[in-house]
Amino acid sequence: MSEPADARSDLALMEYADGETGGQPGGQPDGQINEATAAAVVAARLARDPDARVKVAAIKQVGELVRGHLELSADAVHDAKFAAMWRRIDDQLEQPATGLWARVSRWFDRYRGHVITGAVSAGAVAALALILRPSTPDPGIPGRNAAAIDVRPVALRATPEIDSLDTPGGSSTVINLDDEDGHTTVIWLTPADTVEGI
Amino acid sequence: MTSRRWVTVAILMIVVVPALAGTMKEARADVTADCEFLEISAKAGGKPAIDAELSPVEKKLKKPPFSTWNQFKLLSRSQKSLVKKKAEPVSLKIGAATATLVEIVDKSKVRLTVTMDDEKGKQVANNTTTVEAGDYMIYVHPLANNDGHLLSLTCK
Repeated sequence: MSEPADARSDLALMEYADGETGGQPGGQPDGQINEATAAAVVAARLARDPDARVKVAAIKQVGELVRGHLELSADAVHDAKFAAMWRRIDDQLEQPATGLWARVSRWFDRYRGHVITGAVSAGAVAALALILRPSTPDPGIPGRNAAAIDVRPVALRATPEIDSLDTPGGSSTVINLDDEDGHTTVIWLTPADTVEGI
Repeated sequence: MTSRRWVTVAILMIVVVPALAGTMKEARADVTADCEFLEISAKAGGKPAIDAELSPVEKKLKKPPFSTWNQFKLLSRSQKSLVKKKAEPVSLKIGAATATLVEIVDKSKVRLTVTMDDEKGKQVANNTTTVEAGDYMIYVHPLANNDGHLLSLTCK
């Protein structure tokens, strides 16, 4: 057998071993022979050629080794790496905004109608509160920011008025003193157990 | 009520409540009176003596009925901004006191309620008086050893 013929024959065996020729080690193109014929041809050749049998067995063994190695490599990759990989893919497909401002913007976008309704209502109520509040708290009661209580000239001041006076367990005497500085109301308390009063 | 309606209500509350609170606070803050309280110890002694800090009432203390004593010493002094209808405690060295601004009358007078307790915590006076701004009220509480415990106040 010449060298090119051997090479073609080995290639046909490899294709046969890999199942790429549909079980046609004879290299018959286009399915001109059916599977039963091809199987018969292969069986006949393998029966008469020990080298071919060894080659087919070696090719199958190598194929098994490569397949097993690849499967082990795939198993060695941790699931977390796959998960991370999928997350990266998802992130690239859809880039969600992650910053605080983006979240706030999303929230306002989502509730825009309610925010506007609430703000307008709140503004209306606040405006009503400002309009309806009394401009002066009480007639005759000046505000703190306005002038303080009027200190009238001494001559115009009224005499102090005692509205009520209780001295539990004692008695009292009220004395009004007048001088150039104004009125002074003295309330002299006398406990019941005091022997001498004023 | 849905969560979206709660959002609307929350926004209303956030804006309206501070506005109303500010309005109410401002209204409350309008009615005040600034008052000065002088707690005075009075004794009878050999040499007359009146603390310099008592100069606003010195002339009054030299006249009857205070002439029972001739030595007057300032025990404590406090300035209080009285808020309408809020009892304000007045710190005293002897006993305790409170002052309440009942109202301001005719822009120039204050109606005050003053209470005094002795050193045992027993109330000795509960008085409401309408007095002109700038005038004085002096509460006199004689003590057991013939000393006197005075509380002077004036508002404006």
